[in-house]
Order: sequence, then structure tokens, then C-alpha cells
Amino acid sequence: MSDGYLRFESVTKRFEPIQVVAETDLSIARNDFVVFLGPSGCGKTTLMRMVGGLDTPTSGRILLDDRLVGAPDRRRGMVFQSYSSFPWLTVAGNIAFGMRYRDDLRAAEKAERVDHYLGLIGLEAFADHYPNRISGGMRQRVAIARTLAAGSDILLMDEPFGALDALTRERLQVELRRVQLHEAKTTIFVTHDVEEAVFLADRIVVFSQRPARIVAEIDVTGRLGADRSLDLRESRPFFELRNEVLHLIRHESGDPA
Amino acid sequence: MNPLFAFRGRPAPSVEILCGVVFAVALIAIWEAASDLGWIAPTFLPSPSRVAAATWTMVTHQNLLWHAGVSTVRVWVAFLIAAAMAVPIGILMSSYRIVGATLEPTIDFIRYLPVPALVPLSIIWFGIGEETKIFLLWLGTFFQLVLLVADDARRVPHEYVEIARTLGGGSRAVLVDVVFRAMGPTLVDNLRITLGWCWTYLIIAEIVAADSGLGFVIWSARRFVKTPEVMAGVIVIGIIGLVTDQILRALHRRMFRYL
Repeated sequence: MSDGYLRFESVTKRFEPIQVVAETDLSIARNDFVVFLGPSGCGKTTLMRMVGGLDTPTSGRILLDDRLVGAPDRRRGMVFQSYSSFPWLTVAGNIAFGMRYRDDLRAAEKAERVDHYLGLIGLEAFADHYPNRISGGMRQRVAIARTLAAGSDILLMDEPFGALDALTRERLQVELRRVQLHEAKTTIFVTHDVEEAVFLADRIVVFSQRPARIVAEIDVTGRLGADRSLDLRESRPFFELRNEVLHLIRHESGDPA
Repeated sequence: MNPLFAFRGRPAPSVEILCGVVFAVALIAIWEAASDLGWIAPTFLPSPSRVAAATWTMVTHQNLLWHAGVSTVRVWVAFLIAAAMAVPIGILMSSYRIVGATLEPTIDFIRYLPVPALVPLSIIWFGIGEETKIFLLWLGTFFQLVLLVADDARRVPHEYVEIARTLGGGSRAVLVDVVFRAMGPTLVDNLRITLGWCWTYLIIAEIVAADSGLGFVIWSARRFVKTPEVMAGVIVIGIIGLVTDQILRALHRRMFRYL
């Protein structure tokens, strides 16, 4: 089912004295869009952060392309929910910051890439704006573009649309799907929003309450196809799958909500 | 409802400036009247016009500007030394917990020592030359500033640091490119506030041990009950403070346009 591009082998995590992640095995294929779905505070974010090297497993190991993941580097880029862009840099400056520590690109190439990603996220007109002058949705696009510009192989997204209004969130979900297909990036997206998970994911991994334990894996692309448009949200298969996942969450993960 | 008094409303900027000026002028007018009409003995409260006249005489005949200059130089030398030490040490204290854990108890202790209480000790150590003044000012600001800086650095959202690290930045690069940049606005604010404290300690130092500077001028005038000259000295400090603060605020706005 997967080529095991990213593999979790018996990974656990304790923040003494609390067990945050129970023993977890998981394999993620290259270019897959995987959503970690589970109740708030269950440990799914910690699992994702360990891929980024921002936390280290208490036991077990994580392999990327058959190599042990270590300290953070630009191959594994993060997009956060808040404080996602640097307020002292313009939109273009933020995207350029993604390449600040790349010595392999010449200045002209960097400028070209900034233009390319500004175009990809549709913010050419806002290149010289500071983050506090643009909307929350635009700020999240900037963060995504910055990570792409850095040339990361994996996108790690921690509830990036959690603070946005419903309409903006839907639009960004469509765009993220498009960008992810276009750029062919393996993506781990953490959320507790079931609809968001179903709409975005190739595959959903459902986690229990803390300590996080995988309770189900759902092949969304097998059910809904890879093509996601806003119309899909109103279709019967989408609703059926959504209800199925919701049911699963309520009964399997023991989420009181 | 009068729009001027709309709860949490915003009157026009010109109206705000006008009100500020009118209040200050009215206060001076009342003060002038109180002295001219003999409500208060001029020895206690000389009229503004007499204070102004005294100021002018002091500028033309008693080197008031030179004394002001001496005081300003002392403040800035001590402040720059304190800042040059406090900024890197404060950032290190918040970036490396072990540095913070090592230094914080001692700094916290010294911070609570009242500067005036250390004047005698300072004179024993350094005599009554410039060293004493610089030392007292440094003492009064460094230990406060270093903790403020550490707090500023600590308050930089961890997300910024983690973003930079996942973009391939090493700890040095993250410190310079992210932590220092992110804390910029609060750092400059805290520097501005600490500079104001320097003036307080300067006057204490100059009253006790000096033959120049505004504190010396004020204290000598007091000995001969030259109240207008005492007030002139105080007012000059106020003006220097006001001007410096406005310049630093303007600089803050220019440096941090993105706010």
C-alpha cells in the first residue's frame, strides 16, 4: 500500500510523567497527503513534531527515505497555526526567508523562486505588504509558500487553518490540495476538524485520546478520488464518509465531544 | 452626547494637541498669578517669569548649558555601557536556561539594592570622580535592564524559532535573524524607559559627589535658597528628558514601520 517513504517504527513519547504517544507504527508513502485526526491534546501534534526534529522519540525511531531523522533541517518544513509569518518582513521577504540558509542558490535564482511562489499562492499584488496588513488567510498562504520556497520534501502542518473563518478555510483547503498536487510534497496535516480531514486527505489516521494510539486508517482517495473541488463538499459520498469518520471518532477515540 | 467625551472615542488629533497645550498654559498662568498676587511667598514658589529670567542668566553667565552637557554625557556613557552589557547577557540568559539559572538569583538580589544606599560605598571605592557617577548609574540600570531584556527575549514566540530551525537555521543564525529581530520593538521601548531612570540616579550622584552637572547646580542653588535657580535646573532636566523621549519614539516608529 505504501513505499514507506516516511516510517514510524515503535515510536513512543513521554513528557515525564505523562505518556503522550503510545507505541506507534505507521508508514507514509511519498507524495501522500496524510491527515492526523484526533481530539485536541491527544498527542498527534507531538508525533508530527518528531518528524520535524522539534521533539525526539522516547523510544522507537522515525525513518525518512531509510535515514533516521535528526535535528531540524529544511527538508522538513513546518507551518503553524499562529505566529506563522515573521511580522518584520514583507510577504516577499517572508518567502525569501525560506531560502536564507540555502547556499546552493544564487541571488537571481532566489528572486525567481520568490516570484514563482508569490504567483502560486496568488499574492503578487501583496508582495510588499507586511503581515499585519493582510488577512489571516493570506498569512497562512505566505507560510506555506515560504516552506515550499525552502525546498522542503515534507510539509508538516499543525492546524494551519484552525484560526480562520469557515469560508476562508474552505478556500484555503482547495488551494492547499492544488498546491500539494502541483508541487508533489508529502504532507502531514494535523487537525481535529473531521470535515477538513475528509476533504484534504488521501489518507486519514485517526488517533485516540492521550496517549495517542492509532485507532483507524481511512483511505479517502480510494473512496472519493484524488480530485477535490468545493462541489465535493456537497456530495453524498463526502457526507457518508464524513459521518462514518465522525462516528468512528466518537466511539473509538472516546472523545467526549 | 458631546463627541469630545464619547466613551473610548477618538477626538481629532488637532483637538487633542490643543487640549494638551491649553492645560499646560493654564497651569503656568495660575502659577504666575499665584506668585504675582502674593498668594505664595516667592522664596517657595517664584513665578514662571522669574524662573525663566533665572534660566537665561544661568545660560549666559553660569555655564548652565555646559553643566547640562556634562550631565547628558554622564547619562549616555553609563547607559550605553549598561545596555551594551545587558542586551547580550539578557539574550543569553533566556536562550540558555543554564545561564539564566546561574545569574538570575544574584542579579535579582542586586536589583533590589537601593542605589542611594550604595553611594557611600561607591565613594570609598572610586572617590568622587567620574567613575563614581558612572558606576552608580550603571548599577541602577544594568541589573534592571538585563532582566527586562531576558524577558523580552523569552517572550519571542517559540514558533518563530522553530520555523527558522526547520528552514535550516543554526542556533546562532536563529538568535540573530529571528530572536533579536522579533524582540526589537520591546527592546527599544525598554531602553527608552531605562534611559529615563538614569537621570534619577544621576541627580543623586551629582548632589552627593560632584562639582559639575545639573544635580550640582540644583544643590548649590539650594544652599543659598535661590529657588528660581533650583527650579531652572529641574526644568532643564525635564526638557532634556522630553526631547530625548520624543526623538527615541520617532526613531521607534521609523525602525518598526511594520507594527
